[in-house]
Amino acid sequence: MILDNFSLEGKVAIITGAGRGLGRAMALRFANCGADIVAASRTLSQLEETAAAVRALGRKCLVKATDVTQSAQVNAMVEAAIAEFGKVDILVNNAGIDPDSLGKRIDQLSDEDWRLGIDTNLTSQFYGARAVIPHMVKAKRGKIINVASGYGLRGGKHIYTYACAKGAILQLTRSLALTYCDDNIQVNCIVPGIFPHNEKMMEFFKGGKFIPIGRAGEDDDVGPLAVFLASEASNHINGELLIIDGGGLAGGITPTGAVPGGKQ
Amino acid sequence: MALPPGIKDFSLAGKRALVLGAEHNLGRVAAVTLAEAGGKVMIASQDAGTTDALNEAAKAIMAAGQKKVPIQVQRAALRADLSATADLAVKELGGLDILVTAFDGPFYAPFDNTDDSAYDRVMEDNFKTVWMACQEVGRVILQRGGGSIVNISNVMAERGVPNATLYCAAKGAVRNLVRALALEWARRSVRINMIECGWLDEPGRAETEPGDFNEKLVKYLPYRRLLKPEEIAGALLYLVSPAASFVTGESIAVDGGLLCRV
Repeated sequence: MILDNFSLEGKVAIITGAGRGLGRAMALRFANCGADIVAASRTLSQLEETAAAVRALGRKCLVKATDVTQSAQVNAMVEAAIAEFGKVDILVNNAGIDPDSLGKRIDQLSDEDWRLGIDTNLTSQFYGARAVIPHMVKAKRGKIINVASGYGLRGGKHIYTYACAKGAILQLTRSLALTYCDDNIQVNCIVPGIFPHNEKMMEFFKGGKFIPIGRAGEDDDVGPLAVFLASEASNHINGELLIIDGGGLAGGITPTGAVPGGKQ
Repeated sequence: MALPPGIKDFSLAGKRALVLGAEHNLGRVAAVTLAEAGGKVMIASQDAGTTDALNEAAKAIMAAGQKKVPIQVQRAALRADLSATADLAVKELGGLDILVTAFDGPFYAPFDNTDDSAYDRVMEDNFKTVWMACQEVGRVILQRGGGSIVNISNVMAERGVPNATLYCAAKGAVRNLVRALALEWARRSVRINMIECGWLDEPGRAETEPGDFNEKLVKYLPYRRLLKPEEIAGALLYLVSPAASFVTGESIAVDGGLLCRV
């Protein structure tokens, strides 16, 4: 039965950045599809909220405070998962930031701004994959899901560290995918479009301005896509970028809503 | 065992679906997948002489639990046939929410030996059918308040292959039709997406039959094997179902990683 293939019953998933936003939504959706969760991020109080919600769905949740820019902490996160559950079936490399440097002119970007943006958004995903791959190779199965962004594919004014890091995630995904397919590990990438996470952004994108489909993304839109990529239903999908953006990247060479040659 | 509750967004319970090109393996797999996920399915072919293949597909759909499967085999010229099929789907299924097209007509020949009749045939088999189906079936989906369209194509929509100029051009045309139409209908509640499958392992597929090309190809593929038609099921169900309600104009490659190598 095809729907059974989407079930995550009996699987263990590590999700970074699980305290809020897309990470929290994915954690809850995974739990609702049968997975036990290892929730990681820097902020313990937010993780505890996610964990309570996961447990309310009847699944186990291990909370692990982790700064994903520190490789020792990422390694410890994976070791804690193995110690608790004996395996890791799924890693979702989700933690990231819109760094403070977003919008800074290039001559105002400090060395620290650059490193923070690259370390948090890109190096963290390298650390995650590096720590989890040996366990997955041993198990001869695994799913790694890297969360990138539309800015991994398009440029933006004054957007340097974010666009560079997100673009590199696509390449990290592809090379991991080709390397570890012999070990039955699939590595794919989610490319979210506009998912506003603060009031200013929510106000700006109200009514779906700039988004073809007419609304901004809501966190749980990404949940089912992540479940699909974490499940057996996607076993022949590998190294692929799965765009979820209400049509944004299908166009982009005209302003949204502007129609050449007359009325739509 | 009962399914976990979070799976419900992938269910097609209450949805009505039309699968065109159901005489092909990918079309049959699509139809069975939609029925297994709870949808009510009609199958059709825009090719006369496919009655046996459609009857076989209908049997497989009934094995997935659907009691009666409406079938339509080509009876008229392409546009009239698609238009009649769309209306029949609404009548037989009580409405229409989903269109899946699985048209395919492989063609391999050197560019300098490709004549006008080959152009007409290959463009029709691989592109004109899709374009017209989106118009004629899209019309009834729009009338009924929206839905989801998935066109099944292959990785030639993304890259070139020697001896396959027309075939690649036609598949690539589908890719950009999907993008443009997705934008045009984005605010009319119709999502349009696409699947690009890798090299197929299926009986009667000349280019991947055992031989020199097959041998070299299989060694080159990341999974070191051809794709079974059944392996597109997950991507198809994701794209047509409410699980992908924020996804339009997108294409998912089901190719084991082939496109990230090239």
